[in-house]
Amino acid sequence: MKPFAYARPRAVTEALKLARGGATVMAGGTDLLGLMKDGIAAPERIVDIRSLEPLRGWARAKGKGLRIGALVSLVDLETSAELARTMPIIGEALRPAATAQLRTMGTVGGNLLQRNRCWYFRDEAYPCWLKGGVRCFAIEGDNRLHAIVGAEECVAVAPSDLAPALIAYDATVSLTGSRGTRTMPLVDLFVTPHGRVRREHAITSDELIIEVRVPENALTRRGAFEKAMERKTWSFALVSVAVSAKLIGGVVRDARIVLGGVAPVPWRARDAEKLLEGQVLDDAACQAAADAALERAEPLKDNGYKVPLARELVRRTLRRLA
Amino acid sequence: MNIKVVRTKAEIEGRIIEATALVEGRDLAPWGTDSGLAIVGKGHPRVDGIARVTGRAQYTQDLYLPGMLHVRVLRSPYPRARVRRVDASRALALPGVRGVLHRFNAPKAAFRGEETIFRDEVRFVGDEVAALAADTEETAADAVRLIDVDYELLPFVADLEEAMRDDATRLTEKGNVTESGTYERGDTKRAFAEASVVVEATYRTSTQLHNSLETHGAVARWDGDLLTVWESTQHVFGVRAGLQAALKIPYSDIRVLCDYMGGGFGSKGGAGKYTIVASIFARQLGKPVRCFLTRDEENLAAGNRSATYQTVKIAAKGKRIHAIEHLSWSNSGQGRWVADPTGPTNGLYDIPHVRTRSYKVVTSLGALSAFRAPGYVEGTFALDQAIDELADRIGEDPLALRRRHAALQTDPVTGMRYSLKRLLACYDIGAKEIGWQHRKPEGTRGSAPHRRRGYGMASQLWGGSGFPPAYATVHLNPDGTAVLRCGTQDIGTGTRTVLAQLVAEELGLALGDVRVELGDTSSQYAPISAGSLTVSSVGPAVRLAAKDARMQLLDAASGLLEVGATELRVERGAIVSTGRRTQIGEVLGQIENYTVIGKGSRFPNPEDISLKTFGAHFAQVEVDVRTGEVFVEHIVAVHDIGRVINPLTAASQVEGGVIQGLGFVLSEERVVDRPTGRVLNGNLEGYKVPTIRDVPKITVRFIDDPDTKANNIGAKGLGEPPIIPLPAAIANAVANAIGVRVRTAPITRQRVLEALELRP
Repeated sequence: MKPFAYARPRAVTEALKLARGGATVMAGGTDLLGLMKDGIAAPERIVDIRSLEPLRGWARAKGKGLRIGALVSLVDLETSAELARTMPIIGEALRPAATAQLRTMGTVGGNLLQRNRCWYFRDEAYPCWLKGGVRCFAIEGDNRLHAIVGAEECVAVAPSDLAPALIAYDATVSLTGSRGTRTMPLVDLFVTPHGRVRREHAITSDELIIEVRVPENALTRRGAFEKAMERKTWSFALVSVAVSAKLIGGVVRDARIVLGGVAPVPWRARDAEKLLEGQVLDDAACQAAADAALERAEPLKDNGYKVPLARELVRRTLRRLA
Repeated sequence: MNIKVVRTKAEIEGRIIEATALVEGRDLAPWGTDSGLAIVGKGHPRVDGIARVTGRAQYTQDLYLPGMLHVRVLRSPYPRARVRRVDASRALALPGVRGVLHRFNAPKAAFRGEETIFRDEVRFVGDEVAALAADTEETAADAVRLIDVDYELLPFVADLEEAMRDDATRLTEKGNVTESGTYERGDTKRAFAEASVVVEATYRTSTQLHNSLETHGAVARWDGDLLTVWESTQHVFGVRAGLQAALKIPYSDIRVLCDYMGGGFGSKGGAGKYTIVASIFARQLGKPVRCFLTRDEENLAAGNRSATYQTVKIAAKGKRIHAIEHLSWSNSGQGRWVADPTGPTNGLYDIPHVRTRSYKVVTSLGALSAFRAPGYVEGTFALDQAIDELADRIGEDPLALRRRHAALQTDPVTGMRYSLKRLLACYDIGAKEIGWQHRKPEGTRGSAPHRRRGYGMASQLWGGSGFPPAYATVHLNPDGTAVLRCGTQDIGTGTRTVLAQLVAEELGLALGDVRVELGDTSSQYAPISAGSLTVSSVGPAVRLAAKDARMQLLDAASGLLEVGATELRVERGAIVSTGRRTQIGEVLGQIENYTVIGKGSRFPNPEDISLKTFGAHFAQVEVDVRTGEVFVEHIVAVHDIGRVINPLTAASQVEGGVIQGLGFVLSEERVVDRPTGRVLNGNLEGYKVPTIRDVPKITVRFIDDPDTKANNIGAKGLGEPPIIPLPAAIANAVANAIGVRVRTAPITRQRVLEALELRP
């Protein structure tokens, strides 16, 4: 491993100063250390942000929604009885994620910023497009685990289980950097690699995620999450689906359908969401929305199975809302 | 004692070998069903269980000697290339780097039929190009990346079915495909013509990786001329032989040790290149040297179960199986041998007309190595599915159909009588435990919407007789405690516990008074812990050693107690005669510091009799037809292996086999990128071994009748049987549940959904 400088700042301003000019930020390290061991990341400077108090803790303030600090560990969210009442979809999404050890080390911010799991990307021998090379090896290679929708030059998929759940609840994310703080819809944190954009996230190298917020009015949503894996646990999603909606008099308002594992970003099926507006969640409506959610799917040679799989998970999660 | 030379034929991993051994004295009469055994046959917890679970057990991987150097291996990034030049100067310039070995500077060292361990032509991604020793593991890992190699790239083929094609790149002068097994009985040509129904199907199995928790590796140290090697191995004597061949040094100068061992599953049968590299570096550099594979290396270069492509043609005449033809091609990678998947087809069922052929296919991939019932797992996956497909076609219950072909008491391949075969009893027990009567030909409704339930079963045939040579020594101390020394090793199966039970039983001691010392070439020879042969090979020798010690003890006691030896016996640590109990320590204590040494050897197997193990697995599964998810609800595993020495460790073996079989049939698949020949998932993230959440309810049953014709303890092997029928049983249950058959293992969601999509 390449030698690197390491700092563990105690203040956000100090961290930002240290992060300037191409340092790598580390929180739980569960993804970064793997990338370093595999030769994919070779940082010269690591800024370990685990001691930044303002990024810790989560709370629900009455009328102000839910605030989750970037450094909150996944296991804290997963096991919280209060959160299980406030926003149960988070626990649903986290329980099948990774292992207890990884969820203990892993943080919310790190989970959202983890890199994709494409086996060509993760093998340093492949100079793949996302790593600055000339082509995507997965398009011609073994792409059973890859994107069925929304991909451009790179067909890797967004791996987070937490992201679809948070996006389905209209979460926002706050970033702070040397030029100030900005807040954006969480869905916009994710970018589809294309053209000159050879990255998966909108965060710049000298920014930190401070927190994720879920607005108060979203907490009245009903939600459901499902994940399909290649075994019963400790596996990235083949497909994951988070849905939410407000049900007013049995009628759907403002549905959200967000898929993981199918696209380079957490994939919002907006056409399907629209289709549900004003509908009663009966079998036909759920099926129609599920069909619409995957209508634009263009599977690769090995991953056609993901289409019916995703469709069924959308249908099931919607049925659970009713 | 009179010593005799004996020659014996025996079966290991489906192959017949001839062994020559020495035996002393006379064999013992086998324990019968009514021998009133006190310790053997009882479920004793592992004698080393506490050491293992508290972390005190020392595995080879835990061994760090003072001043030890660490080796990392540079492996070929290309599937086939000529190594034209190796320049290690940048690596050697790094502080802490002590040496580099490669094809241009390494001493000659014979390894598995080749003259050197670093080939001029590397033949798979992961093939050894160079090795580097450094003061720390980190330095070695960094430095190995600084070795510059000039490769001349050569054409390759990295896929089984691609390599089988006529126009494929030829990897050897003889081509890629060679016949490796052939068998015929009856007249299949005529039989297929006269059959009423013929079913043909193609089955595929994927490359399975062993993923032993402890990776392959060794630590070597020289003290003058004496080389000591600690190795994670299934055969300390095999490692010794490999070192002798490679380094040309006498056995007296080699000691190989393996105390606790973290799994091998067939892949740790002898010295590896890492052993030889560590030994050469240790000699050259004058320090102990450790060379262990990383998980990635393990999954490239430490062996695998061959992927197979198999076709089966099976015919019925009326309600009986009339003929079967089974052709099988195995991806041996760069292996020098290949397992034969047609063994079960030849020998399991009483079918009049049989024709099988198996072929070894060479590819530019890592060599296979034995993997728990090599060939038989893959072959049974095809055979027992084909039988179900035929049963479906003729409208017959698949278990009923098998029963008609499972009663035969002679081995259809050799014509010899079986010593003991209770396959029908396995069927009876399994059917009852799983609730076979609930099975419907079209499956049944599952426990949730879109879920279908199905039942399936499959049969198991395997050897496991064991054979000579195997020797053991029992030292009975003056205080009445005993030490068993034997050259076998406990690879995690419970060998220590089972052997302690045999000694305690025969010698009349409490289990806690027996200490077992294994895994040391300073002991007498014992065979490889593979082929389901440890208990059946070593056990009878251990019993004889204990008996020899007991007879000597009684002779001594007779003199000291002034009672005729025939009137004495040993019971729970005491010498007993009519109306008198004297502790062993009290008797032997009268002779200062005398150690009784009992010796035992394994006698040959009976001639003209077929020694086999049988079994059957039954599976109840549910399949979600919308998501392709398979839920295994219940497995019933029934095995007919002769006497069960320890029901606890035996059940543990069966559970382990079932779980490994579940991995094979549901999730484990090495994925290779064909254009580059690279393994894409040689890690524990992408290669899916089962987790504890994947483990269903497992019911284990044994017939537990001693096979008194087999050997003096009546036991046969159990290491491999419990993985053999499981994949086929699951595949049959899935097919029963959903009405379509997935003929490729593993049966992933992808394959289930694709099969359902194609459903007529």
